[in-house]
Amino acid sequence: MTNTVVTYGYWEELEAVPSLGHYSMSLDAHHLVQFWRRCSLSSNFWSRYMALWVPTPPAPGHLRREAMEHLLSYLLNELFENCAKFSGGPFQRINYAAWIQAEGMVFELTNQIVPAAQAPFATLIEELLTSDLDELYFQRLEASAESNASGSGLGYLTLMKDYGIRFGFRFSPLTSESITVGVQAHVALKEL
Amino acid sequence: MTIAHIQGEEYTIEYEPSSHTVAFRGTVRLQSSDEYAPITELLQTAHSEANTTGQLTLDFRQLQFLNSSGISMISKFVISGRKQDRVPLRVMGNQEIYWQQKSLANLQKLWPKVVIEIL
Repeated sequence: MTNTVVTYGYWEELEAVPSLGHYSMSLDAHHLVQFWRRCSLSSNFWSRYMALWVPTPPAPGHLRREAMEHLLSYLLNELFENCAKFSGGPFQRINYAAWIQAEGMVFELTNQIVPAAQAPFATLIEELLTSDLDELYFQRLEASAESNASGSGLGYLTLMKDYGIRFGFRFSPLTSESITVGVQAHVALKEL
Repeated sequence: MTIAHIQGEEYTIEYEPSSHTVAFRGTVRLQSSDEYAPITELLQTAHSEANTTGQLTLDFRQLQFLNSSGISMISKFVISGRKQDRVPLRVMGNQEIYWQQKSLANLQKLWPKVVIEIL
């Protein structure tokens, strides 16, 4: 087991950054799998809650509240679904945290995976952060149509390519059997 | 027997053979590609029954949400339509539904013959 914390992409130490508001929630990954609609339900609740930060009418060039709500619901649902699908090992805790800042919102989802799952996820992350997103998106779809495999990373690709969301990822070893994965999503209030 | 209707807890998908239209309504956020299989089957049925001189319409105007697994399922259907190149595809979207505004155009990039109408 390595004790090294590895960080990729756009990662911010959010406790140190001034924010207008901070929210959190803790869930059990098994419970999301048991009732899959809890992913959608949680994302719809937080998207509506957070979108209320967007004034109506919005500042010039900023997303409208309804658009922000839709965007956040899609984003958070993908993140909750990922936590539900990929959590593994002895710990099944999912933490949701959100911060509202002057120019945007940041969401951080953490869950635990088995150590063997780190390398394949890190490979995907490196691809997401270094490739031409458009090219990778269509390449992945064509490949999944051929192999009938699920298109891995398509959720992230859509969010980065179509919505301009910036992601950060962090792997922190917890025990010899468990690694905590943190995913940060940075959403700008300005429309892309 | 042709399956013409799929009813989920938060969605309905309806195939209208006379107009060659498959209409999606509600929130479709299923767990796996296996769960999407009946929808794929319905789409394939609609595709096989569509006349080569006509078109097949996918009506998303009342589809509030679709997760990435669902987008992947629809994309695969478009790719298979492109490979067969038998029936033109029309996709109807809703300007008020943000994901459609942002992501529906991707289907046309998969197959330039797809006609997208966002109303």
